[in-house]
Amino acid sequence: MTTLEAHKPETLDIHASSDNYLTHSKGFISWACTLDHKRIGVMYLVGVLGAFFVGGIFAILVRTELLAPGPTIVGPFAKWMGMDPADVYNQWFTLHGAIMVFLVIIPSIPAALGNFILPVMLGAKDVAFPKLNLFSFYLWVIGALMAVLSLLMGGFDTGWTFYTPYSTTSPAGGVIPIVAGAFILGFSSIFTGMNFIVTIHKLRPPGMTWFKMPLFLWAIYSTAIIQVLATPVLAITLLLLIIERTVNIGIFNPSMGGDPVLYQHFFWFYSHPAVYIMIVPAMGIVSELISVHSHRHIFGYRFIAFSSVAIAMFSFIVWGHHMFTSGQSALMNTIFSAISFSVGIPSAVKVFNWTITLYKGNISLNTPMLYGLAFLFLFTIGGLTGLHLATLSVDVHLHDTYFVVAHFHYVMMGSALIAMIGGLHHWWPKITGRMYNENWGRFAWVLVFVGFNVTFFTQFMLGSQGMPRRYYDYLPEFQTYHVISTVGSYIMSVGFFITAGYLLASLVNGKRAPANPWGGRSLEWQCPSPPPHDNFKTPPRVGDCYDFSIVRWSDEENGYVVDRSLDPSLRENPTPAKGH
Amino acid sequence: MGRLSRILHLEWDGDTRDAFSDSHARFQAGRMGMWLFLITLGILFASTIFAFVVVRLQPDPATGWRPTDEPGIPGILLISTAVLLASSWTLTRASAAIVGDQRRQGRQWIERSLILGSLFLVLQAVGWIDMWRAGVYIDSSLYGWTFYVLTGLHAVHVLGGLIPMGVVAARARRGTYSRLSHSGLTYCSMYWHFLAGVWIVLYLTLWLGSM
Repeated sequence: MTTLEAHKPETLDIHASSDNYLTHSKGFISWACTLDHKRIGVMYLVGVLGAFFVGGIFAILVRTELLAPGPTIVGPFAKWMGMDPADVYNQWFTLHGAIMVFLVIIPSIPAALGNFILPVMLGAKDVAFPKLNLFSFYLWVIGALMAVLSLLMGGFDTGWTFYTPYSTTSPAGGVIPIVAGAFILGFSSIFTGMNFIVTIHKLRPPGMTWFKMPLFLWAIYSTAIIQVLATPVLAITLLLLIIERTVNIGIFNPSMGGDPVLYQHFFWFYSHPAVYIMIVPAMGIVSELISVHSHRHIFGYRFIAFSSVAIAMFSFIVWGHHMFTSGQSALMNTIFSAISFSVGIPSAVKVFNWTITLYKGNISLNTPMLYGLAFLFLFTIGGLTGLHLATLSVDVHLHDTYFVVAHFHYVMMGSALIAMIGGLHHWWPKITGRMYNENWGRFAWVLVFVGFNVTFFTQFMLGSQGMPRRYYDYLPEFQTYHVISTVGSYIMSVGFFITAGYLLASLVNGKRAPANPWGGRSLEWQCPSPPPHDNFKTPPRVGDCYDFSIVRWSDEENGYVVDRSLDPSLRENPTPAKGH
Repeated sequence: MGRLSRILHLEWDGDTRDAFSDSHARFQAGRMGMWLFLITLGILFASTIFAFVVVRLQPDPATGWRPTDEPGIPGILLISTAVLLASSWTLTRASAAIVGDQRRQGRQWIERSLILGSLFLVLQAVGWIDMWRAGVYIDSSLYGWTFYVLTGLHAVHVLGGLIPMGVVAARARRGTYSRLSHSGLTYCSMYWHFLAGVWIVLYLTLWLGSM
């Protein structure tokens, strides 16, 4: 018995006890005033998933309206709200876009999953500034309330980009609240980014050098840099927009010498990096999923790490590709087109490395892994169609068609959100201490994956044939595609409802999760599920977080354990059990 | 009340979740966080100034940038500039005094900075009133719009600096700061010097732009 313990001292620490972060204290205040990164992460998760539900309702409204040319379901809404059907439709897709971008995808991975996992992955007790972390969360809440306020004040129909002069002249009553809400959400994002940068710099445990960090942390770090550097530009732009709308004159208004294209430049100087705020952490999750669930050391660690940083750098110099048809000079267009292609290089570096990691791996097709594989497939399509759009001559034709909508959804939903759902399943046992039903998980994945492709691949065809964005009416020749796309969105919704169902059911009757259900090596798997209030009783031992050779299944634990007796370099010199 | 709050679980567990091993590590992290915050704000002001330059370089051909009946930047802003720089200097004296373990002088220098900082805001307000009386309104021209918006943006940040400086002054009065422990004063000074630097660039931009 003693020899067994000598070889795997970790097992002494990994048993879930009745005192964990969920049971540590009780009551509303213990959550509302908590400084525990895990509880803040869970609160973000609940908020983000709630916003995802609301944004999803608007998506389904939009898709249902498009089942047939002419008004399909907008009619009754238009009559009830006393508005033109086109305006009602404008509000629907605007709400869908603004909610999904600002309230769901941007905070989903860094703020919700990142908050929970990052300090545990570092073996730290918490983030560097716990109070600032809670403050960021409340800023998110205020931003969400502003979106609700905007709806109560008459909604907004500007598109999620708030382009001037639509946004400064639109008669919709809710423009100022939603723009102010996006401004506040921006600060939530900035403070979260600052917190994570300092945490990663200052709270790495002894032995965890930069190149021993899990790749998820590299991705969160790159994301945080973009958040800190790009978001202030959006903040000032939105502030100037609010002032302009209030006093009816401003620097984006051409009547007195202002420049509306300046708004687009400023907006995309933030919002292009912002799409990397959404996708880079997703890539971090995929690095974990692919490696852990194929039980194989990640291939090309440094390349993946540096490509995250490279994408962050490139993100700042490609914004003009959103404005090829906005009257930029031909020279500017050419430069932006050329630089945009170069983003393909670090993205492809990642995809190749993930694919090689799979090669000869011992792949477990668990739900998280299925989402990881879906990411590989969908991101490849999303990324390659990005090259079509970066090509000037093609973009002039495809601009403002469904091709752009399809490309955007392949990257933002098919990649960022799918990775987020994969990460949610991957860390669900850690967060809740319960296992979800794997069969239901796989079944729902099939619906989501098939539904997604049916919905959005069709839209590439619609777009290339000239179906423009943002119209509720269209020529009869497009109807077949629209019907297929809408049916796909219904299939996907069923998949998401099933997902919500089995995840919630697992909280009630799920099996107790072991500390390490998947066979991971990074530090969060050396901590009980769910983690105790202070994460680690004793500082965990840092090793190579992708070396799975010393991870083995244990029937006793009903999960994986790190067994150092399997490590030949440690066999002659076993770690003494004392002190653990 | 105590019983009620116990039943409803209305008390906070009081855990500050401090992840650092010692106060020096905590201070280093705080300083790094402050630097990141200043970089963020620097980008915010830089992009504001950039936007100003873009619209200034392509003025409305009919009216020009500054309509002929509107005056230039008010002269009182020169005085307010001097006051802000003086407050920045007094704050460096405060830090020097605290580091030299002269707590009473330190406290006095912080209070002087607080007074000068408040005076700066008063002078800015006088500058606005001057412009207003001369018929320059926020909606009369882009010249007026940018003047009020840019100075207002800076003033809001100054106001946001005076509040923590007030807290620092109160703590100094209580003798919280010592030679080895004065992180609050350090963070406050970093922010304040940053605002003084931003104001100089902003003032020069507005002044050159008004010509």
